[in-house]
Amino acid sequence: MKMNLSKEWLTKRAARDDRAEVSAGFFNLGMLGGKVGAREETSSRLSQEQESSRLAFGRLINLWRRKKGLRMDELADKAKIDLVELIEIERNLDFIPEPRTVFQLAQVLGLSNERLLQLSGNTNVRDLSLGQEAVRFAARSESVEKLNKNEQRALEEFVKFLAER
Amino acid sequence: MSERSVVYLKDRQSGQLVEATLLDGLDRAEVEGAEGQWIPFLQEQLQKLKARGISKEKWPEHSHWDWRQKYEATEGLLAYRMFGIECQSRMQGMMLVTTAGKTCRIVSQRNKPLVYVHFLAAAPWNLPSIVSEPRFALVGSVMIAAAIHLSLAEEFSGRIGLHSLPQADDWYSRGCGMTDLGPDPAVQNLRYFEMTPEQAAEFLK
Repeated sequence: MKMNLSKEWLTKRAARDDRAEVSAGFFNLGMLGGKVGAREETSSRLSQEQESSRLAFGRLINLWRRKKGLRMDELADKAKIDLVELIEIERNLDFIPEPRTVFQLAQVLGLSNERLLQLSGNTNVRDLSLGQEAVRFAARSESVEKLNKNEQRALEEFVKFLAER
Repeated sequence: MSERSVVYLKDRQSGQLVEATLLDGLDRAEVEGAEGQWIPFLQEQLQKLKARGISKEKWPEHSHWDWRQKYEATEGLLAYRMFGIECQSRMQGMMLVTTAGKTCRIVSQRNKPLVYVHFLAAAPWNLPSIVSEPRFALVGSVMIAAAIHLSLAEEFSGRIGLHSLPQADDWYSRGCGMTDLGPDPAVQNLRYFEMTPEQAAEFLK
């Protein structure tokens, strides 16, 4: 796409733009990792259990998707959720998805919406065993291109747990 | 390979317009190059804010966008386009838009397609919230103009939409003449703005 903006138009706009704080898009925290202390501040702000459950949620979605051989945009389409929100879910510990998004994912994954709401940070984790299983799953799962046998087993066991009750 | 157009930014030091390039369709190298320029500068400035005891709540909200991740997630998807403005060998701003799946909420334009601006950011040295003397002005206007031109090219009549970060609300409303549809609870209560075809024509006049 070619674009042609006249200098006259730009000069007129410059007065309005002079100290404008131009930005758009919903934000997230901690994307700079530990480089400016964002990660350490994230850790001090979230309890270890909260961090593990959010990590478990993101990993669950990521591993399930990869196990099904779906790209992110394919899962977003299937679940009828925003692609960019799915990116945040899988990659950003601080991100709390909308309850509707969690519900849509619960439908597609065939899992308990209530438990996914707890894992995702929308509601407090009330189920002690859920918190413990989330910590265990987060510790056992690793982010690699292809699911290895350990990841597969970890995923299957965690999914089985979530599907109970 | 990005498609290129000549544009101009205002060099705030000299007060003059300087030639820049609008890049339509950034490639991986360009996005990574931009991050390689922005992140070190941003880190340095945020460390200064931290050293001055300024709480994280007062940091610029978009200080932690990972553009490379956004590029990777949308690479190859035809409905997503990434724009950049390059000037004096540095990326001065970037924007990610989508041309599919988003429709207008303004009553008079209800359900008509629009170009949705997922993310828009000026380079950290251009932001008043980060530096006391921003380097270049007009990044925002050029990007909004690009979004409108894309909307026209897609036969969306210039309609665009975006969720503003709080520090930019006034600029979208009064600076660009967009309609403020208020906080959107689905997007972290960020204010949602849209531009009608008439507003787009007025912006480009």
